This record gives sequence, structure tokens and C-alpha cells, in this order.
Amino acid sequence: MIQVSNVTKKFGDFIALDDLNMHVEKGAIYGLVGPNGAGKSTIIRHLCGVYKQDAGQVLIDGQPVYENQAIKSRYAVIPDDVFFFTQANTLDMMKFYKNMYPRFDEALFKKIMDCFPAINPKKMVRSLSKGMQKQVAFMLSIAARPELMILDEPVDGLDPVMRRQIWSLIMSDVAENGLTVLVSSHNLRELEDVCDHVGIMNNGKILIERSLDELQTSITKIQIAFEGDMPKLPDDITVLKKISNGRVHTLIVKGEPRAAEQAIGQMNPLLMDVLPLTLEEIFIYELGGENYAVKDIIF
Amino acid sequence: MQSKTSFFNMALFKKNISRTWIAGLLYFVLLLLMLPVFFVINTANINGDDWYTRLGYTMEMRLYEHMSSIPTTFLAIIISIIVTGITFWYLFNRRDNYMMHSFPVSRRSLFFTGILSSLTVSLLPVVLVSVIMTIAAAARGCDGLACIWYWALIVAVSTLLFTAIAIFSLMISGQIITGIIFYFIFNFLYLMMEIAFRLTASILIWGLSEAMNGIQYRIWTPVLYISEKVRVVSEVVTDDNYERVINFQHSFSGSHLLAIYAVAALVITIVSYQLYRFKKLETVLDFIAVPFMKPVFSVGMSFFISMVAGAFISGMVEALTSLSYDMKYGIAIVSALILGVIIYFATQMLIEKTLRVFCAKKAFACAIYSLAALGVLLCMRLDVLGIENRVPALKDIEWAGIENEYAMVFTDEMEIEAFRQMHQNFLTDKKELRNINYNYPDVDGKTFSIRYKLKNGDIIIRSYPVINTEASVVSSEYVAATQPILDFINNPGRIKEHIIGNIWNDCEIKSMEFSTIVDAQENNDYYMEYNEFDELSTSEKKAKYKRVYEAFLKDIEAGKVFQQDFAGYEYRYEENQKEILYNTFDFVIRNPDVDYFSDQETFYDSPNGFYRENLHEQDIYANLTINCTNTLKALKDEGFYNDENELMTNYEFSKKYENYGYDSEAIEPEAIDAERAEYIFEDPDGDLDPLEAVMN
Repeated sequence: MIQVSNVTKKFGDFIALDDLNMHVEKGAIYGLVGPNGAGKSTIIRHLCGVYKQDAGQVLIDGQPVYENQAIKSRYAVIPDDVFFFTQANTLDMMKFYKNMYPRFDEALFKKIMDCFPAINPKKMVRSLSKGMQKQVAFMLSIAARPELMILDEPVDGLDPVMRRQIWSLIMSDVAENGLTVLVSSHNLRELEDVCDHVGIMNNGKILIERSLDELQTSITKIQIAFEGDMPKLPDDITVLKKISNGRVHTLIVKGEPRAAEQAIGQMNPLLMDVLPLTLEEIFIYELGGENYAVKDIIF
Repeated sequence: MQSKTSFFNMALFKKNISRTWIAGLLYFVLLLLMLPVFFVINTANINGDDWYTRLGYTMEMRLYEHMSSIPTTFLAIIISIIVTGITFWYLFNRRDNYMMHSFPVSRRSLFFTGILSSLTVSLLPVVLVSVIMTIAAAARGCDGLACIWYWALIVAVSTLLFTAIAIFSLMISGQIITGIIFYFIFNFLYLMMEIAFRLTASILIWGLSEAMNGIQYRIWTPVLYISEKVRVVSEVVTDDNYERVINFQHSFSGSHLLAIYAVAALVITIVSYQLYRFKKLETVLDFIAVPFMKPVFSVGMSFFISMVAGAFISGMVEALTSLSYDMKYGIAIVSALILGVIIYFATQMLIEKTLRVFCAKKAFACAIYSLAALGVLLCMRLDVLGIENRVPALKDIEWAGIENEYAMVFTDEMEIEAFRQMHQNFLTDKKELRNINYNYPDVDGKTFSIRYKLKNGDIIIRSYPVINTEASVVSSEYVAATQPILDFINNPGRIKEHIIGNIWNDCEIKSMEFSTIVDAQENNDYYMEYNEFDELSTSEKKAKYKRVYEAFLKDIEAGKVFQQDFAGYEYRYEENQKEILYNTFDFVIRNPDVDYFSDQETFYDSPNGFYRENLHEQDIYANLTINCTNTLKALKDEGFYNDENELMTNYEFSKKYENYGYDSEAIEPEAIDAERAEYIFEDPDGDLDPLEAVMN
């Protein structure tokens, strides 16, 4: 759905995007993670057709985005700081979106509105709380029936209940209509439950981009205990980290977990447990030496 | 649904209108008050007996006068920036900017829909008010309703143009306030550049000290030029006594200019669209959002501000001490260059939004700029453009004029050529002439002016400080350079033709007065007395005046009156006071068949100035001296005075005046009121035009 190839963007002498590559499959929920200043908002503005890249290509569904009215009508954007016209209430904004997005579903909008009873549709949107404004933005965007939703720090400022409600709306749209979602956040934990693909950005580049399944099968945590000292492990097992506590050793092993389990099992350990890693643990071990900024997205 | 044409988006249009309609409504109310409401109120109390009706004013005349007084561009320039500013507000706020450009709408749609909605809000009130005004005027029985729609056309084209300039200005900057400032700068850019140049020239260039007086609005300053050149023109001509309308002329001027400005608006709009099309949205909140404008702004501001400031500094130094021309210019150049560098880096700080602008690259650019500025200032000093030496070609001159104590204007080709030659000869000695403050710091003098009105409408003004040629220290070269000017203006033939006027030799003397001073010792006072010859018939009086006039002409021939010099007021003051008579002498010349050509009014003629037509007579005032023997003898022979004792010089008068111990503060208030009461115009009916009452 999204194909970003070798995109470079400079602001004066500052390189905001540095030969960036990114790929988002249709129907995926892609989490774009990175510390502040990594370039997340910049690449999102390229995807929205706001910025024009200095070099490279930004394609959505195979078409360039910049000044492409047709492709823009197929996706909806919710920025971190949502925008509404002065003096406009929710119904005014609904009319505006209805005129802007050819697939806007008014009936769906009214249905979604029922899920947010606290919002008075006749009240000026700008006078609502930040959380409510975000809710209105979600209602409008979902009702626009987009094929792609681009969300920049989407649930910032929302309470946990409202976060869950909004994510459930999005997930059901993904499930029912094959919606593709690109969501950026500086906090990995927030995306862990909803994303199926993750890209980590830093210094204007994507450092790593994989599906969660792929990530979770590439690194394993194995807890083992031996009667005496731990024997030397076979050379084909790559240990990223080893922590010993008495006779109990915790190994973070890179590679196929079954092969590692088999190889260690042949060494007759007293105890052997293969444990799943959280997403944040995976990224710590995968990228721990890459850049100190990785810590910023996890802790 | 979206409009099928990508130039227009109905949803955006509605949204734009919803944010700007209030400005349009206020504009509508203002226009409504200015046009129909004011007109209806003004004409509501007309009856057959009011002053205007008695004068012969028709409703058509009133309508034309009303419409010609309604502003055009001044309304358009304000409403355009307000409405366009609100419409394109989103360009100056990151959040709004990014979101608006994320919507499925092209920049083309955003731009043209924005322009269209701005124009709708700005023009709809004009159209509606014009319709209402037409109905109101028709209801009042007015003919000539076309003037209402010509006014509307002017406002419409002005609005089109100013909206285009507004959108261009807003595209240049990423800050709304800066965009609005740019809007006004662009509207007055040419005028401001001209003023900067003229200010500098008036201080630095010899002969241009009156340069600020010659400003004429050009096509590049539409807000002023349209007001002046494109208008509903109406002129109600009354007889000399303001008792009857004798002619009514009206026209619509400058329609071709409207076409030019409409095309200009279109071009500016297209250029603005291209700027928007390629605008980098990350420049929001930048001082200047268009790369090519950054050096233009920086160099332009540095050059013009430093040039004017440098000239002012040299002028201030000259005011403190006598400077040679070269020294004065040197100070100006050095000051301008130093200030230019400072302003250059200050503008860079504004543009870059940082104080860290000092780098080799910018220093190099500044050095290039400074060299260019030095080149321009040196070109001014060396008069490369020939401004100082410029004497226009004979074929280009409509009239040439000179003013020292009196203004003389020459329209005859031979006289103009003689004038040109005199001016050219004068300029050949400029090295001697322009250093007078330095060479003769203690000699007083005057400044005389030369003006050329060219056939293309331009006016060239030069003024030259000169010193008293009779002062002992003045060199013979200086006298040789300046004496031809005095010879030219003191020629008796020219005095008669240009100070008395073109009808001097073919006129009747309508009236004549010579005052004598009557001593009222009982009141410790004096009063002026005039012999009005009430016992004589009009023809007898005119014959009497004519005889005095003939004698007066002889004194002109003899060089006794209207002679001019370059001496200051203080020079030979006491001797002069002992010669000049305190008795006043004036007369009115008249020829009902020939228009009187006023040299004075022509000399100061300007597009905005008052220009009197159908003038057949003129008051002539002359300061007689005791040497005007022919005139004095004739005045005595004709009975204007009887005895030489009735003549009194200024010196004698002031002696007597001092002896009376006259003290203005001691005057009784009742006496002032009584005197003032004589001048209050009586208007028992109360139906006079207030302006006319004041004039009377």
C-alpha cells in the first residue's frame, strides 16, 4: 500500500530524512516508532502530500502522493494536533468531510457518534477538550471510509477507556474492510497490542522494519540450569546476552528457537524453559548496540 | 460532492465564505451609508428655494458630485487584504497548513477557490450597493445613472488588483503579519523607492533640494494613481459671482487604465499561483518563504534605508559646520556603506531567524552588495545619469518657469529656448556655484527655482541656492555665472508679460486702490484711507485708472518696480525700508474676451492642485518705492492722494508706529469682536453652502 523509496528531505542544512525506505503491506497495521526528532512526522507529512521530497519516491498504491487528489481521497489523516475550522461544530465538519471524501458514509458517522455520547455535535469543536477533539477526528476519518489511515500520535491525550474504544473501532474496520493503518508513536508499548508490523526510525532512517511474528521468532529467551558449570554452547547458537544467577542462566538467543532448543537439550540441562520476549525486549536486544536513542522508545 | 473542475471546490468555497462573510457584511453597511443613505439624506431637504437649486443645480449634477466624492481604491485596498488574509489564514499556522494540504484537494483548487471566495465577499457588497444606489437615484429623479456603475467598475477592478497583490504578498511570507506588511510595501513600493531616492537627491544632488515637491503618482502605485486618474469626473462651473451655474461637464476618466490594471491583476494572480504551486510548506512561519525574495529583500532594504540615512547624516553634519561638496558626499557615502552592512546582516537575522548569520558566505555577499551600493552612490556623485545637468529638449517642454520673488512661466517657444540656454549656461559653472556654503559662509542669499512642465505630464523641478551678487567678497566668476539669471527675470518686457500677466497690454483697469495713512492722534492710532471716486462714473474711473496704469508701466520700463535680486532679506534692510512705501497700491486688470494666464498658479500647477478656468481678471499688488516717480506722480495727478505728506515709507511708518507705543495685548476685546463682525458673512436664510460662505 505504501512504498517509500530512498527518500531524502533537507531543511536547510539539516537532513530530516536520509535515504529512507519503508514498505507497508495492504491491510497491515504498521507502527512507526522512533524517538522525538527521528523524522516520523516528516515522513508522515510526505505521505500526506504536504511535503515534497528532495529525492526518492513516495507512492501509495503505486501512485505518487504529492498533489494527487485522487489518491488523497482514498486515505484519511489524523495528525497529532487535530485541525477544525473556527466556529465549526461536529456537524459542520461532517458536512465538510462529506464534500471532501467521495466515500464518506453519513450513516456510519451517526452510528459512531452513538459510541461517543459525551460529544455534543452542535458544540464548536474547538471548544471541546483535546481528547474529545481527537474523538471527533476519529469519527470523521473512519466515516470517510478510507483505504488507508495515517495516524500521528493518535491516542495522545486520551484516557485508557477511550483509547481502547478507538482502537477497537479501527481494528474492526481493518477486519471488515481491509483498512491499512500507519500509526506513529514514540512509545513502543502503546503499539505492541495493535500493530502487526513495526518500523523503527532514528536520524531520518528506518533502522529495522519487520512483522511482529518475524521478530518474535528471531529472538528467544532460554532459561537453563546445569548440575555444574554451564558447558560451552555450540558455535551455531548466537547468544546476544547471557545473565547468570547461581546455576540458573538466562540466554537471549538469536535465530530459530527450535534449533536452539534442540541443541541445548542435547547438553542435558537440569532445567530448560523457552520464554517469549516482549516487543520492547526484542528491540533492546536487537538494536541495543545500534544507538542509544533506542532506549528512548522503550523506557 | 466535489466539483468536477479541479479549479473550484464548493465545500472549500462555502467554508471560506462562512469565515469571511462578516467582513463582507460590514463592508456592505459602510458602502450603504456612504452611497445611497448619504445621498438620500443630502437630497432629502431640497426645495425650490435652497441655494443649490437657485444656483441651477440639477439632480444629475448632485449625483455626479456625490459619486465623484466616494473613495474607490482606499476602500478596495483595505477590504482586499482583510478578506484574502482570512481566507488564506491556514497558510500561516502549521497545524492548519498541514491539515488543509492533507485533504483530497489540490493546491490549484485551494488557490482559485480561495481567490473566488475572497472576490465574492469583496465584490458582492459593491454590486448590491450599486443596485440600491441606482434605485435610490432613479427614485430621486436623477439622470446619468451610469456614473454609479462606473464607480462600481473602478472599485471592482481595484479589488481585483489588490486581491491579486494581497495573495502575492501572502505567498511571499510564512507569517501573516509580515505578509500584510509586505502587502502595503508592495502597494507603495515604487513611491517609497522614489521618495527614498528623492530624499537622498534633495540632500546630495545639486539643484534637487526641492526634489520632494515633484512627486507625481505613477502607474506603479495604483492605490493613488487610480484615485487620481480613474474617476467619475464632474465639474459644475458657475459665473464669476457664484450666482448661476453656466456649465456642467462630466466624464469617466481612465477607463484604459482599468483595462491595464485588470490585465496586471491577472498576471499577478498567475505568478502568485506559481508561487503557491511550488511553495514549500515547511516555510510556514518563515519571514520570507520564497528563496529568490530573500536577497531582494535584504539588498533592497539595506540599500534604500542606508542611502537615505547616509544622506541625512551628511546633511546633519553640514548643518553643524561648512562642508565642501566633496566632503559632504564623502560623509554620505561612508555612512551609507556602514549602515548598509549593518542593515544587511540585520535583515539576514530576520530571514534566518537566528543571530548566527556571520559567516564567510554572507560576508562575501555583503561585500558584493556594498560594492554595488558604492557604485550607485558614486554614479550619483558623478552625475552619470545627467540629473544635475539635465535641461529638457525644447520639443518636450510644455512650459518653463522660474521663481525667485515672483513666478514667471514661459510658453512661447522662443522664450523657452532662451530660458533653456540661460539654464544650460548656469549649469556649466556648477563647480563654482554649488560650493557657496563653503566658499562664502558669511554671505546671505536666496534659493530660486526652475520648473519644466513636459508634454508627457512630468514636471522637472530644480532649485539653486544663490548668494547676493553685490557682496564684496563674491568672485567675478560667480557674478558672471548668476547675473544672466537676474538679467533674464528683470527684463521689463518679461515683467509686464509675466508678473502683470498676458493681458497687460490689452485690458481695462477694473479697479484701483492706493492707500494713504491718516493719523488719528486723538486715539493714538491711524487708519488707511482710499479715495474711491464715488462722484465719478464707471468709465471716468476706468480712464483715471488707465492713466495711472500707463505711468506704472513706465516705472516698470525704468526698472523701478518688480525688480528681483539674490540678496537676502537682511541685506541693505534699512536702506530698503527708507525707500519702500507703506502705502499700498493694487489694481484689477480685466479682459472679458481673453483668459488670464496666471504664471503663479501655473508654476505651482499639480495634478491635485486647484486650477481656475475662465479667469478674465487678476489683482495686481505692487510695492511702490519713492523711486517710482511716474506712478506716484500719476496717482497724485489723478487725486489718489493730494500731498507728499500722505506718502510714508516703511521706515517712517515704523518710527511712528513705535512712537504710538502700540501694544496688541492692550486692545480691548470688544474692539476685536467689532472688527471680526465685519468679516462674518451674513446668511440670513441659512441656506448657503458652508464652503461658499467661508469663501465669501
